[in-house]
Amino acid sequence: MKAIECSDLHVAYEKRYTGTAYEVLKGVSFAIEEGSRTAIIGPNGSGKSTLIKAVCGMLPYRGSVRICGTALDKMNRKTIARNIAYMTQLSEVFFSYTVYETVLMGRYVHAARSFGRASQEDIDAVMRAMRSTGVEVLKDRQLSSLSGGELQRVFLARTFAQDSPILILDEPNNHLDLKVVSELAGYLKNWSENKPCLSPADEVENVKSHTLIGVYHDITLAMELADFLILMKDGRIAAQGSREEILKTDALEEVYGFAVRDYLKASLKNVLGG
Amino acid sequence: MKQKNVIYKCILSIAFAVVVLIMAAGLGSVRITPGQILGVIANRLFACPLPDGLPQSMVSILWDIRLPRACSAFIVGAMLSVSGAIVQALLQNPLASSYTLGVSSGASLGAAIIIVNEITIPVIGTLLLPVTGFLFGLATVMLVIFFSAKLDNNLRNHTIILFGMIVSLFVNGILTMLSAAYSRHMNRLILWQMGTFAGRRWMHVGILLVVCILGCLAAAFFHKELDLMSFGEEQSQAMGVEVRRTRFILLVLSAVMTGAAVCFTGVIGFIDLAAPHAVRRLFGSSHRYVLPMSAVIGGSFMALADLLSRTVLSPQEIPVGAVTALLGAPFFLWVYFGTRGKR
Repeated sequence: MKAIECSDLHVAYEKRYTGTAYEVLKGVSFAIEEGSRTAIIGPNGSGKSTLIKAVCGMLPYRGSVRICGTALDKMNRKTIARNIAYMTQLSEVFFSYTVYETVLMGRYVHAARSFGRASQEDIDAVMRAMRSTGVEVLKDRQLSSLSGGELQRVFLARTFAQDSPILILDEPNNHLDLKVVSELAGYLKNWSENKPCLSPADEVENVKSHTLIGVYHDITLAMELADFLILMKDGRIAAQGSREEILKTDALEEVYGFAVRDYLKASLKNVLGG
Repeated sequence: MKQKNVIYKCILSIAFAVVVLIMAAGLGSVRITPGQILGVIANRLFACPLPDGLPQSMVSILWDIRLPRACSAFIVGAMLSVSGAIVQALLQNPLASSYTLGVSSGASLGAAIIIVNEITIPVIGTLLLPVTGFLFGLATVMLVIFFSAKLDNNLRNHTIILFGMIVSLFVNGILTMLSAAYSRHMNRLILWQMGTFAGRRWMHVGILLVVCILGCLAAAFFHKELDLMSFGEEQSQAMGVEVRRTRFILLVLSAVMTGAAVCFTGVIGFIDLAAPHAVRRLFGSSHRYVLPMSAVIGGSFMALADLLSRTVLSPQEIPVGAVTALLGAPFFLWVYFGTRGKR
């Protein structure tokens, strides 16, 4: 089955005062296989973030979007959240919760009642999510006392706790140092390969297939985390296909308008020396 | 936060509230002991015999003046703090308060229109002023939300804050014009805006209590949504919250509580801003605790402020808004910056 299917997707923002519409997405069609890993890449302003927000049902759109076979406009917010977990860029925290409280919020969509204690199922999911991003030791710490890298790992744990088969990321590596990014990539790979379990107790369940979709500015990270690429430019898909197919062509260079791989080669040379 | 710790702190806070209420009832030109206070309450509620040797004048001071005054101060403080906590979480802004959406200026305008036109309606009598104030306050908030939604399809937080500010300033302009044009009413207008708990009756307490209990219960129903929404619209949407609808309900809820508080007492600042922060510092940010404890701590603060306002310079009374601001400002600085250290 397809995890996400879009056909002829249009998103427009209305310009204030003039009333004219400004089209950000101009007819986007693609299908993402269940259990696959996809990267959406393209220059600034190409419509990547708009695309994933529309897929998450956060923007008005024209065209058709289907999530796991169901039309998006037939789903309410909770149904969407049960199917898609969405992680934004690292953002400022205004009110400080403990790490445990924060990760537990990911279970909101599964909680039947407003009051009362968290169910054992919720607690298990929270502990599992915290283990799979290595934040278990931070359990009782306040968010305000965490570093950016720790904070993003906590947010990732919260997204994992949501237990949705599809995970969409919007530049998860922003503001983070290289080590943290490589750790995040590891957690995400484990999750997408369906082994988010670090202890034997976690192995039992998790039969769901996990679909990972990300918007990345860092092309190397995109290549590491994806086997299917969607290249966007000016609100349209410029190219899509498996990583190997895309890399055989000059699509990357065309989309960004400069010699991407030559540049990466040169900068890597600088880092490695000689 | 450890469960046991939280329970101790809850018990301490409630004990603090009881002590403040007893002090508010007992202290003043006539001293009444806690035993006598309990005796009078038992007499009035359960028809127990009055304590021996208690003159009728003292019973009347306690039952007709001090207790309703202290209770209405407590309830108003509770309502303002709870709605302050709600607005802060919703707008993701620790400096927002229940007045951010323009309730107070709207209510003041409503009251001013009644005062300068010397309107009286026989049947509702003394309730005319508060009811008009309430309706104007609520109308102002609806105006702010309506125009924010018109201008910004996503109803973003900063649009709401900005619009609340603009509408407040605009309405205050009308208010200033009215007071200048009808200068013989200026005194009454200013007094109304300053806010006081003097002369509150049990009838006021009753109305306030009903609004307070209903409002707090309704808000408690959304405690999880408030937690999630304090992370912003995108993240809470992604976790499954119907953001627009929930935010609308909660904004109206907080406007109703603030409106009811303002229209019976006038505009009293700082409690709504400081109490939720004090609570977050003591109990953490989870709204399971923030909402009920804001009511307890905010109520205690307000009752204490009212007690100070009538006893410090007795027989002269200081406006209670001045007390909350004079004590609240440094307290807020301590609560807010004390927790975070240097920024």
